[in-house]
Amino acid sequence: MVKTIFIEARYEGKVELCQDTLEYAKKYKKIGLYAAIQFCNKLDRVNEQLKELGIEVITSQPKRTGCSSQLLGCDSAKDSLNLDEEVDAFLYIGDGKFHPQALVYGQEREIICDDPIGKKFSLLTKEDLAANLKRAKGALVKFHSSDNIGVVITMKPGQEFYLKSLELEKKYPTKKFYYFIDNNISFNQLENFPFIDVWVNTACPRIGLDDQESFRKGVVNLRNVIS
Amino acid sequence: MYDLELNRVVKEIQDNQAKLVCLQLPDGLKPKANEIEARINSETSAKVLIWLGSNFGACDIPLGLDRLGVDLVISWGHNKFRKEEW
Repeated sequence: MVKTIFIEARYEGKVELCQDTLEYAKKYKKIGLYAAIQFCNKLDRVNEQLKELGIEVITSQPKRTGCSSQLLGCDSAKDSLNLDEEVDAFLYIGDGKFHPQALVYGQEREIICDDPIGKKFSLLTKEDLAANLKRAKGALVKFHSSDNIGVVITMKPGQEFYLKSLELEKKYPTKKFYYFIDNNISFNQLENFPFIDVWVNTACPRIGLDDQESFRKGVVNLRNVIS
Repeated sequence: MYDLELNRVVKEIQDNQAKLVCLQLPDGLKPKANEIEARINSETSAKVLIWLGSNFGACDIPLGLDRLGVDLVISWGHNKFRKEEW
């Protein structure tokens, strides 16, 4: 593996909550605060603003991240955040939707988003991702009733779980597993294997949620079928 | 708007005596690739390759670059990823 240096590309502007966010958030007593890495070192003012409203702010360092409050797109499971306490709502600081959608998939609370660049407030709820969640549920049912399973493995080191996927054979001895390898999943290639009933994704867990529609036969994440 | 840390980038290339460097940028920073390339060209003797593909996170680093002799990857927009072992 070639030596790799990461540059976080921290945001150089001011990070503070816009008026609409403050107005909306004030109905909550306890908020879980997370941000994209670009904003993680500039959350002091946000903390201050929430405290002025009498809101208790808590945060954590999620499992795969490098610092406290940082949220990744793969933090899409309930236990990803390493957060022991319950909160009334989550507040995400950042300018995209990919990261806060992870909270929608994994948590049961409303997600308030504040974009410090565009100075915009928005909300994300389970309704926004209902179609993906419904398909994921359907695919899980299909997995349990199917015989021929395609297991998709990536070579990307951060997402490669080949050995772990072999546990499927032990857990489901009556099913036949076929293993497919690719770097980025070529969705149009899936059609070339008509003998597969349903797919298991072993790479980024967001593939098994966001890309449900691209897997016409359905896809489940590895974590949902083995523990 | 975002700190690209170009002084650090130049220093890392020099310190690592890198001859062939691959730049990986998230979509939002890809339009800055020419600016970064120009800076590296003016201050180091390294040849620059720009990764065309995805940059979903620190879990998504280009593979196989050693075959071309790339000796340093510089990846923007993310920090070190802690792969979950289970």
